[in-house]
Amino acid sequence: MLISVEGLGYTYAPSTPLARTALRGVDLEIRQGERVGILGPTGSGKSTLAQLIAGLLRPTSGHVLLDGVAAHARTADARLRRLKVGMAFQYPEHQIFEQTVPREVAFGPRNLGLNDAEVEARVAWALDIVGLDPVEMADRVPLTLSGGEMRRLALAGILAMRPPVLILDEPTANLDPRGRQELLTRVLTWQAETELTLIVISHNLDDLARLAERVVLLVAGQVAADGPAREVLSDRPLLEDASFDVPPPVALLQALRQSGWAVATNRLLAEEAATEIAQVWSSTGGMV
Amino acid sequence: MSLLLPGMHVAGGTPLHRLDPRVKMGASLLLMVLPFVAPSLPSNLLLAGFVVALAILSAVPLMALVRTLRVVVWTGIFMFVFRLFTTPGTPLLTVGGISVTLQGLGAGAVQIYRLCLLVVVSSLLTYTTSPAQLAHGVEAVLEPLARLGLPVREFAMVLTIALRFVPTLFEEIEKIVKAQEARGALIRTGPLWKRVPGWVPVFVPLFVSAFRRAEDLATAMEARGFRSAHQRTHLYRLHLTRHDLAASLLILALGAVILFVEWRMG
Ligand SMILES: Nc1ncnc2c1ncn2[C@@H]1O[C@H](COP(=O)(O)OP(=O)(O)OP(=O)(O)O)[C@@H](O)[C@H]1O
Ligand SMILES: [Mg+2]
Repeated sequence: MLISVEGLGYTYAPSTPLARTALRGVDLEIRQGERVGILGPTGSGKSTLAQLIAGLLRPTSGHVLLDGVAAHARTADARLRRLKVGMAFQYPEHQIFEQTVPREVAFGPRNLGLNDAEVEARVAWALDIVGLDPVEMADRVPLTLSGGEMRRLALAGILAMRPPVLILDEPTANLDPRGRQELLTRVLTWQAETELTLIVISHNLDDLARLAERVVLLVAGQVAADGPAREVLSDRPLLEDASFDVPPPVALLQALRQSGWAVATNRLLAEEAATEIAQVWSSTGGMV
Repeated sequence: MSLLLPGMHVAGGTPLHRLDPRVKMGASLLLMVLPFVAPSLPSNLLLAGFVVALAILSAVPLMALVRTLRVVVWTGIFMFVFRLFTTPGTPLLTVGGISVTLQGLGAGAVQIYRLCLLVVVSSLLTYTTSPAQLAHGVEAVLEPLARLGLPVREFAMVLTIALRFVPTLFEEIEKIVKAQEARGALIRTGPLWKRVPGWVPVFVPLFVSAFRRAEDLATAMEARGFRSAHQRTHLYRLHLTRHDLAASLLILALGAVILFVEWRMG
């Protein structure tokens, strides 16, 4: 599905004294299979943009088109397209209502009108992807789960709908480092298998470095940068203006470069930085 | 939230914002009661004009204020239709033995007008008065009852908290609706018979979060030393200024004029 965002603006509580403009003049185009990260400081409009793309908010100006159809339209056709955009919200407790974990996950697939066998298979599959044990979770009451488990559960509820477009709003908040790594790896594997469009919102540059090939930087509701992840996430002045630091591997490479090493500075992951350093080291024989 | 709801507070520095909450509560009460005491057209034109003037003075955009009436659209329609069919008088139209009367039309219109006035006046009160001020005012007005041993302060505290959370609840409903619609729930679209059960996945998380919030709030209050039986003093004291006096006189004058008009109209 092709997502086209054109001149998009959004104001909360328009024409009241509480009006608050969250987005202005945003243009984006996201093609099927792209992995896009959305980065921006608190309150920059990331979640608002995500909800507009999912057709959950009506734009104040401009459009969001899903394959050419307005995302928020109230027609059956638009609803079918919206169902192809899965969105895992920043606050998972906003959607948990069922009495057991499997039923909670089954809510979405049932709304798609799938048969029982298919629903059951998808529930087991989705719980496994997010790292919840389907057997142990069979009778758990969702409200008794921990914050991290709830986040996984909410994500499973979306994954089980197998949307071709998946939007993750702060997917790793509340997760421990190991859980975070596992989750990212599994989502990436699934993305590669299915040509999924992945849109990830995060404050965490390492999450974005792992998941995104393209990064859109939002500042005060406007697109401040849109380009390959390696370029955007290693652009120190740009990031510092938006109150972010470059990721630690980039900081290290930049420091090495300043002291005379001819390393490339746009390696975002620790592994990539290590390879780069090793290569330069061996090619110079350890001499600057 | 796409509209301003009754019960919300909009901070500001207009003369209405600065008035003593007791004066504003008294005035609101008077404005809501007057149309019942004074049914004639001239009185009500005067009254409606006064309320519009207050709305302009409050600096709340008039369109936003008008849109808050959406909240009572269904109540209004119900009341109108009820009056339309149950008021005896000259029949205009008879359907299956039930008649719509001319008097019914008038009575229905009057009901709608009163309802609108009620909503607009109470909205103006909450827009221009913070929940804390409002509760403080209630407490001050009920103070005499405290001497009889009634828990007036606790009541004021409960009121403050309840008012504070009304807008929060509406925002929460909005968020939950979006989260469930993202999972294909039919809530705002689709046939009516599918929409009603669609609200179950909205209300469960809403109540859960309301209870959780209440529990957190109770803990936070206790952690900061709140004890219901304790005598607490106020950070700000209420005292009436010359402006409050002037406003009180103005509203009393309005009441007097309207009653005079009513008396003359007979
Ligand atoms: N329901 C709402 N009502 C009114 N204003 C809102 C609402 N939701 C968000 N806003 C405002 O819109 C702006 C953008 O909010 P948004 O949630 O999109 O930011 P964000 O980039 O996701 O922030 P965070 O990183 O904290 O999640 C903020 O100024 C916020 O205060
Ligand atoms: Mg957000």
